[in-house]
Amino acid sequence: MTGPRVVVTGLGAVTPFGWGMLPLRAGLRMGVTALAPTRQLDTSRHRTRIAGEVPPAPPRAGAGVAGWPHLSRAEQFAIAAAREACGQAELDPAAGEVAVLFGGSTGGMLECEHYVARLLAVEPGRPRLAMVASQQISSPGDAVARALGARGPVATVSSACASGGLALGAALDAIRSGEVTAALAGGADELCHLTYAGFNSLRSVDERPCRPFRADRAGLSIGEGAGVLVLEALERAVARGAQPLAELLGWGASCDAHHMTAPHPEGIGAAAAISAALADAGLEPDAVAFVNAHGTGTPHNDSAEARALTSVFGGRSGPLPVTATKAAVGHLLGSSGAIEAVATVLALLDGAVQPTPGEEPADPDLGVDLVVGHPRPLAGSGVGLSTSFAFGGANAALVLASWGERP
Amino acid sequence: MTRPPVPLVVTGLGVVCAEGAGREAAAAALARGEAPLAEVDRSGGYHLADGARFAALAAHHGTARWVPPMAARRMCPSSRMAVAAARMAVEEAGLEPGSPELDGAAVVVATAYGSAQVTEQLLHQILLESPETVSPALFTESVANAPAAQVALVCRARGANITVTQRQAGPPIALGLAMTELAAGRCRRVIVGAVDEVNPLLHAVLDRFRALARSTGDAPELARPFDRRRDGFVAGEGATLLVLEGADEAHARGAKALARLELTASAFDPSAPRAGWGRDPVSLAGALRRRLERAGIALDSFGAVVTGTCGSPSGDRLEALLLRSLWGEARLPPLLAPKAVLGENGAALLAAAVLAVEGAAFGSPVGFAQPDPELGVEPHGGGPTSSAPRVLVSSPAVGGAASWAVLGRP
Repeated sequence: MTGPRVVVTGLGAVTPFGWGMLPLRAGLRMGVTALAPTRQLDTSRHRTRIAGEVPPAPPRAGAGVAGWPHLSRAEQFAIAAAREACGQAELDPAAGEVAVLFGGSTGGMLECEHYVARLLAVEPGRPRLAMVASQQISSPGDAVARALGARGPVATVSSACASGGLALGAALDAIRSGEVTAALAGGADELCHLTYAGFNSLRSVDERPCRPFRADRAGLSIGEGAGVLVLEALERAVARGAQPLAELLGWGASCDAHHMTAPHPEGIGAAAAISAALADAGLEPDAVAFVNAHGTGTPHNDSAEARALTSVFGGRSGPLPVTATKAAVGHLLGSSGAIEAVATVLALLDGAVQPTPGEEPADPDLGVDLVVGHPRPLAGSGVGLSTSFAFGGANAALVLASWGERP
Repeated sequence: MTRPPVPLVVTGLGVVCAEGAGREAAAAALARGEAPLAEVDRSGGYHLADGARFAALAAHHGTARWVPPMAARRMCPSSRMAVAAARMAVEEAGLEPGSPELDGAAVVVATAYGSAQVTEQLLHQILLESPETVSPALFTESVANAPAAQVALVCRARGANITVTQRQAGPPIALGLAMTELAAGRCRRVIVGAVDEVNPLLHAVLDRFRALARSTGDAPELARPFDRRRDGFVAGEGATLLVLEGADEAHARGAKALARLELTASAFDPSAPRAGWGRDPVSLAGALRRRLERAGIALDSFGAVVTGTCGSPSGDRLEALLLRSLWGEARLPPLLAPKAVLGENGAALLAAAVLAVEGAAFGSPVGFAQPDPELGVEPHGGGPTSSAPRVLVSSPAVGGAASWAVLGRP
């Protein structure tokens, strides 16, 4: 698709490492995991105990936001991440038509669960409607637009774990087409009993912190948080003196149309999305310097993703470093694509691929060059690929590049 | 994408609604101005004693022809309705599920509440039994994108698979994303539409928000669009799926074009509270006006407006004042109110839009009798709409978003 070049001028995050980009950047660089026993959920009747849980908000996190204490956790994460991203970009979303394009899965489901528990009298207290006012999946995106005064298009994509990637792709399209000149693109999700119990019922959650691409991988770890990127047309960014951090070169999407939960075993749909993203970016596979993989840690997903990567990149000459952010912060479900796009930009800014937590090497059967132990300096071009694959076979891939290093 | 560089046309329309399955059922209800309502199961204990009782329920209406019972068993109501509507649309478009023509097709579906019934069942298992009893089959269908995924599975559609969850604003946004997929050349066809379901918990919660119409006697509640006495909407469910493709593609394979998708647009009103309607119709009207002007679409080219009016006191007010602000002193075209007939659901909006372009007759909604002088607008009083070539779909939403689409004669 033609149109103006689109750059990233701001980043914001709320993750299990803490509120803001600094703790995320430090945690990813060190290759440690924030996965730990959750305090937010009662796990006494679950097989698993851990999650990627966001620590309590700093005292002034909600300063100036109307009704902050009554917002859902996901809304709070979203607003905090969006304000941080806009702060870095020095962008006022109330000025001009700025879009808010989010991906998500849970909305305010945790608060809704407490409401229903009270309605069913299994939890003490009156069921207050304020508890369920943020239940809808669109709530975090709406809350961002409301808090920041955005008047442009606002839309939320909920295609399970591909949502964040699809939302960023939609934002790229909207800017390229001239519909808007800037967008806050990202996603936010919160831990809740529904997803925790649901993934447990599928036996797809690991009792230990997830170990993507490792031989002993045994499932995912659920997380929560938000990631937001300010995207804007290069010309506008330059005109207003904003500093581009990276360039979003292209995106691609596909559907396996194979099974409701299992990926296509050969990764055909995933490979199609990656190939489409590279074509959209105008790049050959050799141009990609690293992959921020979907890497959930489930045996089948990692296997399918490895096959997809081999299918697309198998013929290239050099190694292809792969990292998996979910081992650090957990699987942020619908917002995972957003936080992993943020992590991809961080790797580009730092000139090094973050290590995947854990010292074990990758499963030799997968043929993945997993980055472990220490950050690995980027070799060759400054181009990163971020992948997101979902329930229902939805796939998304993003191609990001270091600013000024367009291949 | 506000306007496609190549003409895009609708070649198939599939509908499941409270009147039954098929475009004819929707057309019949819209022509009468009413559809059958059914009593919602109140045995779960969520409802207020004097609360709303009825909804425009559709999930079990005649979908067996389109979704075999063995397959339907594994689907939530939204998935069943979406698959049935998709198969109807694909058939009308002259296509075969699994055929090469659909292989790379994208699927874009809007839903306001997702799989409400399955979510309720899961919450019951978690809260009243034990998290360990949660059914994996139910969880799989609880995700908002289950209907879109099931449509892709049935049709073997391997293009982008996108679910939009933007409350009432979702359907035009879905059309816009579909338009972009085609305009960018990423696919040749899109199966696009909306699906929503009603279940007891959702119905009760909407009623506790005082969003639903109330009845004083035994008679079912009535949605009273733009009426002075309006006191809420009647919840509704259904699915409308369209096949959207390039006019040249449709022409080349001899498919009949039902309508042309010309434009989509959206904006946000930050004055809207989390669970309420915005209070700035003038800004929303300004955003739409700019989009129309940029596309060179004149207001007098609209033969009808398919509105989202549903009998909500604040929602109808926002929509009425938005349209009046947009048209100014000029005479408004007939305002259609499909949600006041088929219940509040996005599928009603899309079905009515295509039918309106085709020249279908629309009756006066049975709930309307007394104009509201503050609003200064009335729903279409029955009979033919204007002969002007375009239809505007208008869909402001709770929470602040608003979206629009322009459809025209092919």
